[in-house]
Amino acid sequence: MNEKELIIQAQSGDFKAFSRLIESRKDKIYRLAMKLTGNRDDAEDIVQDTLMKAIDAIDKFRMESSFGTWLYTIALNNIRAHAGDKKREALRPIDDYLPGSHSESTSKELFDWGDPHQQFERKRLNDMIETALAELPLKYSAPFTLRYIEDMPVKEVARVLDLSLSAAKSRILRARLALREKLSNVFREKNNERL
Amino acid sequence: MKGCSKHIQQIAEYIDGELDEALCTRLEEHLKECNNCRIMVDTLKQTVVLCREGKRERLPEDIESRLNDALKNKWEKKFGKKS
Ligand SMILES: [Zn+2]
Repeated sequence: MNEKELIIQAQSGDFKAFSRLIESRKDKIYRLAMKLTGNRDDAEDIVQDTLMKAIDAIDKFRMESSFGTWLYTIALNNIRAHAGDKKREALRPIDDYLPGSHSESTSKELFDWGDPHQQFERKRLNDMIETALAELPLKYSAPFTLRYIEDMPVKEVARVLDLSLSAAKSRILRARLALREKLSNVFREKNNERL
Repeated sequence: MKGCSKHIQQIAEYIDGELDEALCTRLEEHLKECNNCRIMVDTLKQTVVLCREGKRERLPEDIESRLNDALKNKWEKKFGKKS
C-alpha cells in the first residue's frame, strides 16, 4: 500500500493504516523535539500532542502536502507552544558574525579549529552542540535542524515553517553562523588554556 | 576584509553544493588568497558535521507503548472500535 492509500484507509477509520503512517515518523518528531527543546519530558509530550492532534485533524488532511510535511507542521506548532516561554538569546544580523565586524566575540582573524575531535571527546562535543542548539531562538534553530539534521530540502523547510524561500535560507545561515561562533569560542578558549 | 561579507551566502551554498559552477570558480579563486574565508568554509562545514554526529535518539520503549495505547484510545473514541 502506498502512502496515499494508507491515508485514505486511515481517514475511513483504519487504525492500522494510521499506525503505519506514523511508524517511522514518531522517532523523527521525538528527535526534532529533543534537539529544539533540549528537554526529554517536553519532547515526549510533544510527540504525544502532535499525534493526538493528527488524529483530530486526519479527515481534514487534503493531500496538498506530503503526510510527513503535514505532521512536521503540527509538531512545530507544538514545539513552539512548549518552548515559547523559555528565554533565549536573540541572534545578530549576518554581517555581525563575519570577521572584522564590530562584535566583540569575532576578532579580525578567524580561529582555525583544526580537528575538534583531537581536543574533545565525542560525548563532550555532542553536549556542546545540544546546549548551543537549544539556546538559539526557535525561529532559527527549527529551520537549521530541519535542513541539516533531518536533511530536508530548503524548499520543504520553507513550506513547513510557512516562510519564503529567501527567509528560510537566511534563517538557516544565521543559525549556522551563530553555532559556528559558539563552538569557535569554546575551541579557542581550550586552545588558549594549552598555551 | 569587509568585502568578504558579500561572499557568505555563496560560501554556505558552495559548501552545500548548491552554488552554480561559474560562481564556484570565482569563489575558489577568492579562497586561494583569503585565509579568513578559507577558515569560514572549513568551520561552517564542520559545524554541520558536528551537529549531524549527535545521538540519533529514539523514543524510549516504555513511552512508545504508553503512547500507542493513548493513540488507540483516542482513535476508538473518534471512529469507534472497528479496527
Ligand atoms: Zn574572503
